[in-house]
Amino acid sequence: MSALRRRRTAAVAVILPAVLFAAGCGGTPATPPPATQAAPPAPSLNTSLDTTAGTWAAVVMGGSAAQENAFWQLFIRPARSARWRLVTPPGTADNGGLVLADGSGPALVTGFRPSQDLTFTPLIQTSNGGQAWSSLDPLDAALASTPDALAVNPASGQLLALLAGGTVQAAAPGGTTWHTLASPQALAATPAGQHCGLTALTAAAYTPAGITVLAGTCARPGTAGIFTAGNATWQAAGPALPAALASQPVTVARLTRTAQGITALLIAGTGPGTSLLAAWSADGSHWTVSPPLALHGATLTSASFGPGGTTAIITTAKHGQSITPGGSSWEPLPALPSGTATLAPGADGTTDALAVHSGTLTVWQHAAGATTWTTIQVINVPIPYGSSS
Amino acid sequence: MPGMNSGLDLSDPAVVAAFKAALVHQGLIALLIFVFVGLSWVSIRAWLNASPAAAGGETVASAPAAAEPTWRQLLRIGFGLLWVFDGILQAQPKMAIGLPSQVIEPTAASSPPWVQHVVNWAGTSWSYHPMQAGASAVWIQVGIGVWLLAAARGPLSRLAGLASVGWGLVVWVFGESFGGIFAPGLTWMFGAPGAAAIYVVAGALVALPERAWHSRRLGQLTTAGTGLFLLGMAVLQAWPGRGFWQGTVHGQPGTLAGMTQTMAQTPQPGFLTAWVNAFTAFDQAHGFAVNLFVVIALTVTAAAFLSGRPRLIRPVLAGFTVLCLADWVLVEDLGFLGGLGTDPNSMIPLILLAAASYLALARAPAAAAQPATVPAAAAGWRARLQTAIAPRRLATANISSVAAVGAIGVIILGAAPMAAAQASPVADTILAQAIDGPSAPLDGPAPAFTLTDQHGRDVTLASLRGKVVLLTFLDPVCTSDCPLEAQEFRQAGQQLGADSRRVELVAIVANPVDYQLGYTQAFDQQERLDGVPNWLFLTGDPAVLAKVWAAYGVTAQIEAAGSMIGHSENAYVIDSHGRLRQEMNFDPGPGTTATQSSFAAELSDAARQLLSQS
Repeated sequence: MSALRRRRTAAVAVILPAVLFAAGCGGTPATPPPATQAAPPAPSLNTSLDTTAGTWAAVVMGGSAAQENAFWQLFIRPARSARWRLVTPPGTADNGGLVLADGSGPALVTGFRPSQDLTFTPLIQTSNGGQAWSSLDPLDAALASTPDALAVNPASGQLLALLAGGTVQAAAPGGTTWHTLASPQALAATPAGQHCGLTALTAAAYTPAGITVLAGTCARPGTAGIFTAGNATWQAAGPALPAALASQPVTVARLTRTAQGITALLIAGTGPGTSLLAAWSADGSHWTVSPPLALHGATLTSASFGPGGTTAIITTAKHGQSITPGGSSWEPLPALPSGTATLAPGADGTTDALAVHSGTLTVWQHAAGATTWTTIQVINVPIPYGSSS
Repeated sequence: MPGMNSGLDLSDPAVVAAFKAALVHQGLIALLIFVFVGLSWVSIRAWLNASPAAAGGETVASAPAAAEPTWRQLLRIGFGLLWVFDGILQAQPKMAIGLPSQVIEPTAASSPPWVQHVVNWAGTSWSYHPMQAGASAVWIQVGIGVWLLAAARGPLSRLAGLASVGWGLVVWVFGESFGGIFAPGLTWMFGAPGAAAIYVVAGALVALPERAWHSRRLGQLTTAGTGLFLLGMAVLQAWPGRGFWQGTVHGQPGTLAGMTQTMAQTPQPGFLTAWVNAFTAFDQAHGFAVNLFVVIALTVTAAAFLSGRPRLIRPVLAGFTVLCLADWVLVEDLGFLGGLGTDPNSMIPLILLAAASYLALARAPAAAAQPATVPAAAAGWRARLQTAIAPRRLATANISSVAAVGAIGVIILGAAPMAAAQASPVADTILAQAIDGPSAPLDGPAPAFTLTDQHGRDVTLASLRGKVVLLTFLDPVCTSDCPLEAQEFRQAGQQLGADSRRVELVAIVANPVDYQLGYTQAFDQQERLDGVPNWLFLTGDPAVLAKVWAAYGVTAQIEAAGSMIGHSENAYVIDSHGRLRQEMNFDPGPGTTATQSSFAAELSDAARQLLSQS
């Protein structure tokens, strides 16, 4: 072997293993960029809502969501009744979730969040406690995955929808002629939005008087992003928060119309220092704010609103708490029954826990002052396994 | 990966029967090709021997042919047999449907997205025409194998090498995802850089001109190349942080043990499972020692090959062969057992290549004898090819050359239908038939209806006279099947091209709750059907709809809470005189791009058939 040939061979011997190594190690993932401060996750669609017709509760039941076997079910506990009844609206697969909106009078409007190949949102309404349903015109987009993505103006029947992309649309009664009402960008550009540093919209509601109210996440610490429509622009309408929270970012997790006004649930802070506040207003401008509830690192999984605006929440720590409007403190509930998906505050100070195990809903009740939960009802729901896969 | 998985049962009787029928059909044609070539050869010989020139005693000066070098013979015959074996493996009944999802997709899964994109294109193409693709792979590989075996010398033999290079590259890129060289966990022990890459190298060596066969330099280059490759594999095997030095990691099997543990779970003879399991357990207990042994073995073998000394290479080659065979059995699990094996993996080809390298070095002829076709060696390829196909040449061709020509015919037999199928973007209707069975012929008046289209206009069946009507029933808020079925109708219209002006694509709402115009319009927008001129989505009051459903034997029932409407999935073909001519089961199955195209083809074929009769 000549010297030149030896040098060539040596060069190839060095280069080839290097190339092979580079090829073999090519799949090593690059270091991800540092994460930005994220807004807290929206509470699940498991919720309950008090209306003149009674208390409605939407919970997910069945099996694996990944296998399209998680089906949302709607129950009602009619006014002046202690029993729950299955009233899931028919005709549409509801694997994407049900979004409830208190309608005019006893009506309830339900939106089916689209799943799989469906991209628009069917809407359906009942005026007799779920005994009969009639379709409204669909919304040509997907509702946001938040319990307050749909609202009905109690005065006019107009509809408000928060879309998955963050835009808010409004429609005439019956869901006809939807039009864009606001986008996060447009609202952020208003003086109120600039003051808040609005980064996202999280809820849409009407006050009992029919005033449109939108809520979102503010980048400006200590500011609650609640806005009311008026005079051709949006006005800041959020409550003032305790001085102790002045340095905390605030997200409006829930905003719902109740019999007496509107109720909001605010998440202040991030990480272990996160706390939760309820706020009540009759007209969307004057607020009563609850004391903060420290979450100790847990996050909100379900929030429900009962008669008079009583608020009940569940956290990832599987703890339940409730507070009445103007209450001086959050009241811890006894350890929640296994499988509790949501709570439903009652008029007499009781709280129902709706616990789900596959196709069985067990209703547990906690009487005011009691230390335990009592089973009051079991409903076996025929889950249509496999019908969506 | 989209489009890769047909979603069909791999053992679907309709598909398996169709694949077998295609193979038998093409097998008979292959046989005829050999018979035709053979008879032609005999006839030409007889004719030329009887001709005046032959009678006049024209002689062809020919030098005694130099024997084919042993190393080339080893490569040619070895890889010829491997190609034939691979072709036989391609004839497994499940291969036609299963290759994209069971072979290509898993292989590409750990590769970067751009590799998956490239491979997905091929897998999707295969899924569209599984019968043609499956049969093609069989005949192309068998053809290349027979060609290599039959053509020992001359241009035909070199062309066989080139064919091996070409098809080997196709298999390496699309079937083996570039041999997995862009995926993490690359290791010689599991087949890197891909068996097909070794086929390519062997084919390239066979394709070299004759003068190169007799050069000692070629032997030096091949041994050095083999040595460098093995050195690279040794470095890769020794590189820390890839999990090969540990038998277990946090209680879980290390990289190698994990691989063999998975292999042991594939269906195979019990004794093999036991062996692979035993090796897995041994590696888990002595992972460092196993990897150290492999690294040393590869390094020593690489060093011996790089030295270029036959005496040193010979014993090392023997050891390396044993190591490869052990790896083939204990790590690669023979490569083709369990699942859908397409080849015996890399170790046998690697042994052949290494042995040929050694032979090329050790047995290089001292002085090159001139090959048989003296003028051809000096002439260009055109002249040599002309010489090869000249009548006189044909008369003197031996049976091997005739077999090689027959093998080329077999390759063309395999490649031509596949090429023709690839030119069509429409999938084979066998997919639709495998999902729902054949359509049922009908002949009776289609039930009349008066409904409202998506624009609010009244439409009657009678108003569609003069056109072929493709009719189905869709739920506008259905989340799975109906959107697929709508797309199949849309594609059918596209496939019909200009004929679509004489065809009406009609759907009737199959939902007693969400039947309003707003729903048909939202569905049309969702499915991009609002711009299709011959598309009608008809609705009406629930009572009116119920009568139409009943007339067509369609059910549309409210199911348990949370479920979509349960409705029949049928499609009907109505001729231009308003008569029902076919009823098809229209469950879209898995809804892949291939199956959607297949259903659309079934619809458009049915419409075309009626149009041709009208």
